[in-house]
Amino acid sequence: MSRRTVVGIATLLAVAGLWYLLTAATGWVGSARFPNPAEFGTAVKQIVTGGYAGARIHEHVLQSCKLVAMGFLVAVSVGLPLGLLMGWNRRAEALINPVFLIIRPIPPLAWIPLAIVWLGLGDGAKIMVIFFAAFVPSVINTHAGIRNIEPFLIEAARMLGVRGPRFVFGVLLPAAAPLIFTGLRLSLQASWTTLVAAELVGALLGLGYVLNAAAQDIFPAMILTGMVFVALSGAASTWLLGRLEQRVTRWRTA
Amino acid sequence: MSDIVFTNVARNFRRDGKEFPALRDINLSVRDKEFLAIVGPSGCGKTTCLRMAAGLEFPTSGTVAVGGVRVTRPGPDRAVVFQQFALFPWKTVAENIGFGLVANGVAAAERARRVADVLKLMNLAGYESAFPHQLSGGMQQRVAIARAYVLDPQVLLMDEPFGALDAQTRVVMQEELVRLARVNPRTVLFITHAVEEAVYLADRVVVMSRRPGTIREIIDVASVRAADSWDRFEKIEDVMDQASFVHLRTHIWRLLREQQAPDDH
Ligand SMILES: Nc1ncnc2c1ncn2[C@@H]1O[C@H](COP(=O)(O)OP(=O)(O)O)[C@@H](O)[C@H]1O
Ligand SMILES: [Mg+2]
Repeated sequence: MSRRTVVGIATLLAVAGLWYLLTAATGWVGSARFPNPAEFGTAVKQIVTGGYAGARIHEHVLQSCKLVAMGFLVAVSVGLPLGLLMGWNRRAEALINPVFLIIRPIPPLAWIPLAIVWLGLGDGAKIMVIFFAAFVPSVINTHAGIRNIEPFLIEAARMLGVRGPRFVFGVLLPAAAPLIFTGLRLSLQASWTTLVAAELVGALLGLGYVLNAAAQDIFPAMILTGMVFVALSGAASTWLLGRLEQRVTRWRTA
Repeated sequence: MSDIVFTNVARNFRRDGKEFPALRDINLSVRDKEFLAIVGPSGCGKTTCLRMAAGLEFPTSGTVAVGGVRVTRPGPDRAVVFQQFALFPWKTVAENIGFGLVANGVAAAERARRVADVLKLMNLAGYESAFPHQLSGGMQQRVAIARAYVLDPQVLLMDEPFGALDAQTRVVMQEELVRLARVNPRTVLFITHAVEEAVYLADRVVVMSRRPGTIREIIDVASVRAADSWDRFEKIEDVMDQASFVHLRTHIWRLLREQQAPDDH
């Protein structure tokens, strides 16, 4: 085990110890405000085996992951080509940038009302809200990634006679990959942030809905459970993206 | 026929909103299969000349033509060895070298053969699957040269291609380049600031003046080389020992020295 892992585990144990000390051991923080470890365990067991807010945990997690994946993928498949176009073509940049400058400062959650009016309370509205949140970092970072390519790399490719799709996929995208992935990570983060918010507003399934239901039930242990599962799902998806990045930019660590 | 002809070429650049001339009155023709070296103080416009022949830069006035055709864009018929190597960091050595062949539709089998040949020639065998950042500067430069050679171009444009090499490797590469030039002559525009390198390699050496760059003098080396039959020597140090070599070298040194002095008239 590396030194970092040891330190990490030690820190987690210390936090758990402090948690136990403040809640169960001394009672300084009461159960009505924050659950003690035992209550948390019970809540986890309840949602895993019996279910809570109309479904068991895996159904909630799957629903949330599905929405995040959809919103994220749509955002990336629009944002990446758009960023590429803006980075490569000055005229496209001049055309698109003003629109983008207007959309950019709108907080993603401000799209919720419009999304509900357009698409109702179903998945479509939530995907749209996630899209608007995830779209912006994808575009910005792809744009910057293309812009920051060393000019002599592009010149070398042109000298070699590299053109068309081979130029885009063999030169532009790999050269911009580090910044593109920064954008994707930010997009993914934004997707989770907005998902929970979107589900808080109106949903019948999903982690945001669990949080909402637990708040209405004044059930702190279940609130904590919901938060922990959001964190775990977010971390898992970030890890997956990291693996993809590692594969794509293998040369950097070779 | 692949000559490079500069006719009344001038090039201005803008800096801090002010336009300044970088090159002026460039009239030069690099003959078909000639090896021509340009030397000159830094900033005199050597790289700009080469970039104009490559189609990466264009004259403000005048024309540049290769093989009788005005240069309008870069292409694999005019292979460039860039001063900064310009290797693709995400591609292996073999992929970097083969990329131009892939782009020009060379079949896989022939590609593999040509890449292997040039790897051997450049002393890079065994490194085909390394990434550029894993190589020394000298090796990266050899990959950059290999990437140009493998295209078998009619015109080779080399911008200080041996600049990052250590003295020993440099000599080996210079001798190799001379050997190649004899076996497979092609039109070479070669930029360097090493005078000896220029005299050893080139048929003619162009000495440029300080900015704005103009052609100060064109020195014919080929006739001296033939008269004194330098080619009977295999080693560069034997050539460099010849009185005729020393004479040319000193002459070019003097011209360059004049360019360094501030001209106040
Ligand atoms: N794209 C550019 N924009 C502005 N100035 C440039 C540009 N390219 C070259 N220059 C200037 O033109 C002059 C000649 O440059 P260069 O051809 O690189 O010289 P050399 O290769 O002889 O050192 C220099 O003063 C340089 O700063
Ligand atoms: Mg230069």
